[in-house]
Amino acid sequence: MIEDDIYRTSSQFRLWSYTQSSLKSLRTTTNHIASERVRAALRRARERHLSATPSATGTPQPGSDAEDRDIECLTPEEELVLVRYYCEKTVELGDTYRPPLPTNVRATAIQYLRRFYLTNSPMTYHPKSIMACALFVATKTDNYYMSLRQFAEGIPGDTTADDVIAPEFLLMQGLRFTFDVRHPFRGLEGGVMELSAIAQGQGKPAPHLPHHTPESLKQGILSLALPPVPCTSITDRIGRAHGATRELLKSAAQMTDAYFLYTPSQIWLSAFLLADKPLAEFYLDTKLGGPLEQTTTDSPSPLQNPLYELRTKLLNVLTDCGALLQSYTPLSSDPDQMKSLKRIAKKLYHCQNPEKVNLKRDSAVPRSTPAGDAGTATSESETERLAKKRKLEMEQKQRGTQDMFGPELVAGRTKH
Amino acid sequence: MALSPFASRSPSMTVASPNSALRLKAAASHHVPGQAAAAKPESKPERELTEQLNDDVRRKYIKGALEATAPQGTIEFSLRLTDRIGKKLGEGTYAIVYLGHFRDDPSSCVAIKKIKVNAEYKDGLTMDAIREVKYLQELSHRNVIALHDVFSSKDQNLNLVLEFLPGGDLEMLIKDGDIHYGVGDVKAWMGMLARGVWFCHENFVLHRDIKPNNLLIAADGEVKLADFGLARSFADPYLNMTHQVITRWYRPPELLFGAKQYSGAVDVWSMGMVFAELLLRVPLLAGMSDLDQISKICEAFGTPTEENWPGVTQLANYVADKAVPVQGRDFFLRQFPTAGPVGADLLMSMCVLDPRKRATALQVLQHKWWTTEPRPTKNEDLPRKSGTKKMGDDLARRGGETDDGPFKNAARQLDFGAMK
Repeated sequence: MIEDDIYRTSSQFRLWSYTQSSLKSLRTTTNHIASERVRAALRRARERHLSATPSATGTPQPGSDAEDRDIECLTPEEELVLVRYYCEKTVELGDTYRPPLPTNVRATAIQYLRRFYLTNSPMTYHPKSIMACALFVATKTDNYYMSLRQFAEGIPGDTTADDVIAPEFLLMQGLRFTFDVRHPFRGLEGGVMELSAIAQGQGKPAPHLPHHTPESLKQGILSLALPPVPCTSITDRIGRAHGATRELLKSAAQMTDAYFLYTPSQIWLSAFLLADKPLAEFYLDTKLGGPLEQTTTDSPSPLQNPLYELRTKLLNVLTDCGALLQSYTPLSSDPDQMKSLKRIAKKLYHCQNPEKVNLKRDSAVPRSTPAGDAGTATSESETERLAKKRKLEMEQKQRGTQDMFGPELVAGRTKH
Repeated sequence: MALSPFASRSPSMTVASPNSALRLKAAASHHVPGQAAAAKPESKPERELTEQLNDDVRRKYIKGALEATAPQGTIEFSLRLTDRIGKKLGEGTYAIVYLGHFRDDPSSCVAIKKIKVNAEYKDGLTMDAIREVKYLQELSHRNVIALHDVFSSKDQNLNLVLEFLPGGDLEMLIKDGDIHYGVGDVKAWMGMLARGVWFCHENFVLHRDIKPNNLLIAADGEVKLADFGLARSFADPYLNMTHQVITRWYRPPELLFGAKQYSGAVDVWSMGMVFAELLLRVPLLAGMSDLDQISKICEAFGTPTEENWPGVTQLANYVADKAVPVQGRDFFLRQFPTAGPVGADLLMSMCVLDPRKRATALQVLQHKWWTTEPRPTKNEDLPRKSGTKKMGDDLARRGGETDDGPFKNAARQLDFGAMK
């Protein structure tokens, strides 16, 4: 099958497809390395602080184990929750533009974020500073041209063009310089077009299923079991299934690991099954032949449909993928999840790598070592300044005046 | 439909496995000449995983530094010559191209294209670079230049590790009066071009800059489609694309008329122009301006009208000052006698004014010209660019400054010219 072969040469398959376990171990490794580095960076910051203030009474051992233990780092699960929150924020940010950024652009940006945070930790680079950049890069890679200035002006709050572009190279490196994301949207449109043609008696039977005719296909689609929601006509039914599937693809498919674990066609088909099971199964049958007839169970040949095994295998995969999609509930609509998010954000505040906070320095100062090790370029005075700033912010926070994430990114949305 | 041979590439399950990064890190820690980075002792704790992965890729290659001795006339010999002049294959305003090779196999050459940071462009990585990287990462085919890897080096430079193509480009062959070639050679080159274009279209990618100097030639004579700086994927129905693409002489009438929705037919027209140029050894339609290009198309093939191209008058920049009737088969037979009648038919199908009636890349491949005598020349028998005579000139010329003058594409041109 040539399409499968072509998909296997895509960067999405080569670099960004995983099994459940390989995905998990990758995230664990990333988290582990980042935690080590955060501890080391905070230790260095403390040492510098101590040597810069010799008047300090006593001489506590710098970097002692006791102090190290104080720093509690995020777990891989907590990192994931945080990234998901900023993926949801990406959708909202895309909504603030007039006209809103296309679904494809937003979906690409979300996948960029998710891919970036497979080998980078939010403890090293805060998603808040990467998110806008991911969305801007997506406008470039998905042919939705807009100048950086224009883009930055569209962001509520005081985010500048420099803030947006500063982490671009870093982001691209995290994406391993692959920009193409294969989305399930186009496949859905194709499937809907095929079903509409069938409903009008203009279906094209698959060449390997010679017993199908445009007329038999049309009869088939008209005599399907009732859909979950009553509808007035077959056109209406296809339209509703189309809309419901699209919503799932825009939300659940983006916010879960679906893209890492399944192919675009598996994703849209499983969402379609959730939207209108009988219709989706009918669609699969036009490609793969139907399930075994009840009347043939007494015959010893289970392979009456040569594609039966393939069909069974596919349905299992689609069921798994569907379960994953169904497991998603938006963070912002779930008070429990929001509560846990706040806790994670608070925790992150204490384990953010201080040497990577100022991304603009990263891009402005030539790097002393290759491949993004600009952290060392941060001067001592800078580190100190940051330490002071953190202390100040800390005090503010303890007075309970500061929002965990800083000003709400989309606060100004209603005004636009 | 036959499958073209794919270079086998490993899926991520092995590549991205965290252990490979850690393991390779240890293996690469010994001192290596030609790569200062690897020699630098690491004083910091573990690097971020993303950086380790990048370093793994970077360490796979070495820029320049070949020491093998080889007899004159072989590729290895010319590589050594290049080494002496500093390992740069070419330099343009957009990139510097270095010669390099795989660390574990010094005989396997690569071209390392280092994208320069563009100080003028404030919006981050330029669209040219983004397009080139995006599409070459996805396209793996014998007739499309291979992108082996991409990595970052110090100062946030982007390095593209590309297939090394020392054979020059089709434009050099066309222009070199010392080279004689026949219809079998043209058939071989056109066949390779058509397969490359078909593969792009099959992957929903429009190249949008097909012309002889973007068709590079490998050491074994294979033609490779290069320079994807203007490429994009097919737009969804009803979405607009820019019509300011394709170098003018190779630009089809629909783009000159300002069409915002178009198809792979634009690349097929360019292919037709390359085909004609290979036969005539001069560009068929060398317009001085966009308007001049339109009138040259009208003079050559006929004036687009509602009769021969329904809807054409609705295009934004449609003009028709003279009414030349559409040329029939006789014109092509007369104009391109070397192609033979079947070849003239194929060319005619690629030069149809109405893009909807123009041949698709697949139809081009299915044409009977390919199986008509003479057979396409075998790669090893194809004419090559002449040897050392022009070498000095080309070394003096800065790569990227090709003959297109002010076209911005010139700066983007990946140039292996210094290798002659």
